Amino acid sequence: MNGQAIEFKRVNKWFGKLHVLRDIDLSIASGEVVVVCGPSGSGKSTLIRCVNVLERIQQGDIVVLGQSVTVPGLNLAKLRTRVGMVFQQFNLFAHMTVLQNIMLAPMRVKRVSRDEAERTARALLERVGIPHRADSYPANLSGGQQQRVAIARALAMQPDVMLFDEPTSALDPEMINEVLEVMTDLARDGMTMMCVTHEMGFARRVAHRVIFMDEGQVIEQSEPEAFFAAPKSDRTKQFLSKILSH
Amino acid sequence: MQYQFKWSVLWSGQSAGWLLQGLITTLELSALAWILAVCLGILAGALRTVTFAPLRAAAVFYVEFFRNVPLLVWMFFWYFGVPPLLPRVVQDWLFNHGAEFWAAVIALGVYTGARMSEVIRAGILSIPRTQFEASLAMGLTVGQAYRLIILPIALRLIVPPMTNESLNLLKNSSVALTISVAELTFQTRQVETYTAKAIEALTAGTLIYLVLCLGIATVMSRLERRFAIPGLIARVGAG
Ligand SMILES: Nc1ncnc2c1ncn2[C@@H]1O[C@H](COP(=O)(O)OP(=O)(O)OP(=O)(O)O)[C@@H](O)[C@H]1O
Ligand SMILES: [Mg+2]
Repeated sequence: MNGQAIEFKRVNKWFGKLHVLRDIDLSIASGEVVVVCGPSGSGKSTLIRCVNVLERIQQGDIVVLGQSVTVPGLNLAKLRTRVGMVFQQFNLFAHMTVLQNIMLAPMRVKRVSRDEAERTARALLERVGIPHRADSYPANLSGGQQQRVAIARALAMQPDVMLFDEPTSALDPEMINEVLEVMTDLARDGMTMMCVTHEMGFARRVAHRVIFMDEGQVIEQSEPEAFFAAPKSDRTKQFLSKILSH
Repeated sequence: MQYQFKWSVLWSGQSAGWLLQGLITTLELSALAWILAVCLGILAGALRTVTFAPLRAAAVFYVEFFRNVPLLVWMFFWYFGVPPLLPRVVQDWLFNHGAEFWAAVIALGVYTGARMSEVIRAGILSIPRTQFEASLAMGLTVGQAYRLIILPIALRLIVPPMTNESLNLLKNSSVALTISVAELTFQTRQVETYTAKAIEALTAGTLIYLVLCLGIATVMSRLERRFAIPGLIARVGAG
């Protein structure tokens, strides 16, 4: 499949009076890895949450994998099975084992058989490097392990697009890399990815494009090399000087 | 005046049989009302947390209506008020099949269900909203998210306050004597009247209630440990 995976078309969104997304025009090609960065409160989370309709937009349209999210009577569940999401706070289900967490959606949404779901789940755990924790409960895993399970859980639905909202921000520094490695592998395999992150090393190495947002607008977007070497706008420069100084 | 204790009245004559029947009726009444209460409580508690306003409003109405009327009034309402509204044949059938018992089950069930729904709502609200969003993001419907994720977690968190409500239900079942359900308190009073031994009869009744309540508390704390979420509340019970 080649073409656009996600297209934002003059998207506007308000929370009450707060104008959080302003005239967003943005396309993400399939197979592309895009990093979204920007100051706190600039609307990054809101932007990616609109893609799988955890938030509704008030103006404009978003076309996800050929499907407009604003059509009335949209089959949300169907759209969401094609778009995986990984959250800052892992959000594993505490009353289920790692394996059950991963098998849940394939069995309940896609009606995959238990055997097949388990096979897929174990293969995914292998892929994210923790096959031995299949029967553990989330609370007994480290943050890095939990986040890798969360990625495996999203992948179990065989999504065409993956959304990441600050997947490493809640992690201790020594665990950040194990999660970034999994994300890097995923990118190398050709997954379409939209990642809100401040891991600029990851952006440099893996992203095809870096997008800078401020106050609900896309201020600047370019290839990582150009983005870091020669940012065009002052706001981007300011932001980068703060974030890269340490 | 010297009161002559005569504990043997409890096992001589018909006393023991009456008390046993009272115990059985109390257990039946409480168990059925409990099932009704838990179902209504889960339904109303869950509906109060959904985004669709009309469903939320219906649940609020149920809760505020039922928990703010005395249980005794509800018993009278279901026993004296409702049957005359029913067709003659249904009325006859009801009164031949223990209408007072079913009125008591319904009154106790809907009343306790309204109280339980508050407990369940609090349990649901204590779960971070992002857990719900994560469920939706993987393609579950709102109903599935509640059934498979939100409620199973909430119910595990609220065992202690649910124990409280369950004990209240058992104790409140004694109100059914006012519509002449022959439950434990009713039978205790019968023993008292018949033998004129008030202390003995009431002691027996009291002890039976006590044992029942302790039994329920024990079962519930076992349940709590059995279904504890590993790493979350397991440590409390394991200590
Ligand atoms: N549900 C909501 N209701 C009202 N306001 C909201 C809601 N969610 C976010 N906001 C506001 O919208 C703005 C954008 O929020 P958003 O979470 O998208 O920012 P962000 O760029 O992800 O920030 P951060 O880096 O802190 O995560 C902020 O001002 C925030 O306070
Ligand atoms: Mg955010």
